[in-house]
Amino acid sequence: MDVRLQRINKSFGAVPVLKDVDLVFPSRKFVTLLGPSGCGKTTLLRMIAGLEDISAGSIYFGDREVNRLAPRDRNIAMVFQSYALYPQMTVRKNLGYGLRVRKTPATEVDSAVERVARILEIDHLLDRKPGQLSGGQRQRVALGRAMVRKPDIFLMDEPLSNLDAKLRVTMRGELRRFHLDLNATTVYVTHDQLEAMTMSDLIAVMHKGVVQQFGTPEEVYSKPANLFVAGFIGSPPMNFLEGKIDSGRFRISEAALPLPPLTRGIAPGLDVVIGVRPQNLSFVTSAGPNALAGIVSLVELLGSEKLIEVQIADRKRISVQVRADSQIHLGQNVHVEFDTSSVHVFDKLTEQSVLEAMR
Amino acid sequence: MSRFSFLSSDRAVGLIFIAPFVVMALVFMVYPIAEAVRMAFFSYNPLRPDLITYVGLANFEFIFSDPLFWSSFTQGTIWTLLSILFQTVFGVGIALLLHRKLFGMAIFRGMLLFPYIVPTVVIALIWRWIFNPEIGVVNYGLLSIGLINEPIYWLSTPTMAMASTIMLNVWKYTPFVVICVLARLQAVPLELYDAAKVDGAGAFRRFIDVTLPQLREVLIVVIVFRTIWTFNKFEEIYLLTKGGPGTSTFNLAVYSFEQSMASLRLGVGAATGVVMMIMLMIGSIVYLRVAGFGTEEKST
Repeated sequence: MDVRLQRINKSFGAVPVLKDVDLVFPSRKFVTLLGPSGCGKTTLLRMIAGLEDISAGSIYFGDREVNRLAPRDRNIAMVFQSYALYPQMTVRKNLGYGLRVRKTPATEVDSAVERVARILEIDHLLDRKPGQLSGGQRQRVALGRAMVRKPDIFLMDEPLSNLDAKLRVTMRGELRRFHLDLNATTVYVTHDQLEAMTMSDLIAVMHKGVVQQFGTPEEVYSKPANLFVAGFIGSPPMNFLEGKIDSGRFRISEAALPLPPLTRGIAPGLDVVIGVRPQNLSFVTSAGPNALAGIVSLVELLGSEKLIEVQIADRKRISVQVRADSQIHLGQNVHVEFDTSSVHVFDKLTEQSVLEAMR
Repeated sequence: MSRFSFLSSDRAVGLIFIAPFVVMALVFMVYPIAEAVRMAFFSYNPLRPDLITYVGLANFEFIFSDPLFWSSFTQGTIWTLLSILFQTVFGVGIALLLHRKLFGMAIFRGMLLFPYIVPTVVIALIWRWIFNPEIGVVNYGLLSIGLINEPIYWLSTPTMAMASTIMLNVWKYTPFVVICVLARLQAVPLELYDAAKVDGAGAFRRFIDVTLPQLREVLIVVIVFRTIWTFNKFEEIYLLTKGGPGTSTFNLAVYSFEQSMASLRLGVGAATGVVMMIMLMIGSIVYLRVAGFGTEEKST
């Protein structure tokens, strides 16, 4: 079932937390609301669940407006950040609660619980209470409670944030597999861009209550709509340099770096910020107009790569990602060259991407 | 080890810190209890201090064969059970109301402690006037709105006297329950309510399946304490009805007092105290076992 959000607004008292959110989540897609804390993503999720009132706008599930429907009448299921398992009930009772409340016959409840428990491999835990489970097991029970009712829409509020790093990676894959098995639309909230990138069909990047960009992971990564998205997506984060556009070149201090052909249309003298990811920078041996000169100020080994911080003119620093076996040393004089095709150009004033606007 | 190193060790510091309390406890708790237990085996008339004689279990035989002891026990149990029942129901109800963010709740919350703070003797005296059949405000109010046609003798018929003492107790100690429950309510994770809403639970189911289980542990403790304090309560009954009319509002505390002070049988009074202590200990242990105290699953 698809989910349509039409000009959704929300304020707590005088404080606006969501501004004119317009989104369509296609049926059976895994959609992620991504953004830093306080961006309104959890509020938006809770509004879809019916746990939060809508100040203005409409939410549709399919063709049905659900603004005034109670959570129980929306056929949704939700996984909470703290899992919110009923502590006094066994796992079996927890899983079957939603069905029991809806007066489902006991035999049906039992078989549904057993089925979900088998899928999630928690059938041996059915008679335990949540207090006797590990974090990962609780997580699975919370998932199971959501799956047992066969909801149209799955809502997840940072469900992995309480797990340790290793388990989180495993669960990412599992959540994605469950989503494919369940045939439901999934709306997933996270502040972790890696989770968003790896699991989603579509990502809505949010900041200060406004949707900054809505697109596939590839789109938000390679064609960021504005400075915020560019800085938020990608690890290690994108380098930003301020300067001016001058006849197809980017002028910063002494250097004039070539820009992609598309940028030739940009008004000369425009104040811009260019963004380039550490992966798209490389070291060259000789100085030249296409390269920035600098001194290596930090070397971080990431495992298979090294992250080199280079101090260039005006005390600016940029990060360059190279292979781990590269022989770069602290204090070394280097020249950094851009991969022209992967440079992003943003209007300094509006912070919007100049390139995306011209495409 | 030198003398100085002992004095500066954690152990010594700890002993120094708890010593004052240990001394106080010995003087004001352990000694009186031991003395009461000892006295239960002696015949002791305060007017004849030269005639203190060991009587074995005679004092216990006396009280167990005294019909007034058994009626005091029954009345005391009724008074305790009804007091606790109403305190718990009202306490939880008021706490649930206070937990909502309503206008003026902060002021009301402050005022709530008033009955609990005012000394019992003051309250009992005020209540005697309030319940006065001729000039009391309760009868005046009920008569003038036409709920009753003739004055109710609140304190001078056995049933009404018992009801009045229960009312006083409920009125005075409900705030205690409210405070305890309110503190626990504020610690209930809100996500549990959200989860229940998504699962389809209405307000009543949410109360039964989320709120009550979370309150269970605090209610067990509150009920144990309130039961012990109420069962032992003396001054409210004595100040309001003196155990009367007749002996209809006697509980075991009043019985013990009357045996000791009016009949000058200190040994019998002490034996009553010992029996009460044993009853409460057994009752509390059984209750805590049955209620499963300490097995609550902490919310996740």
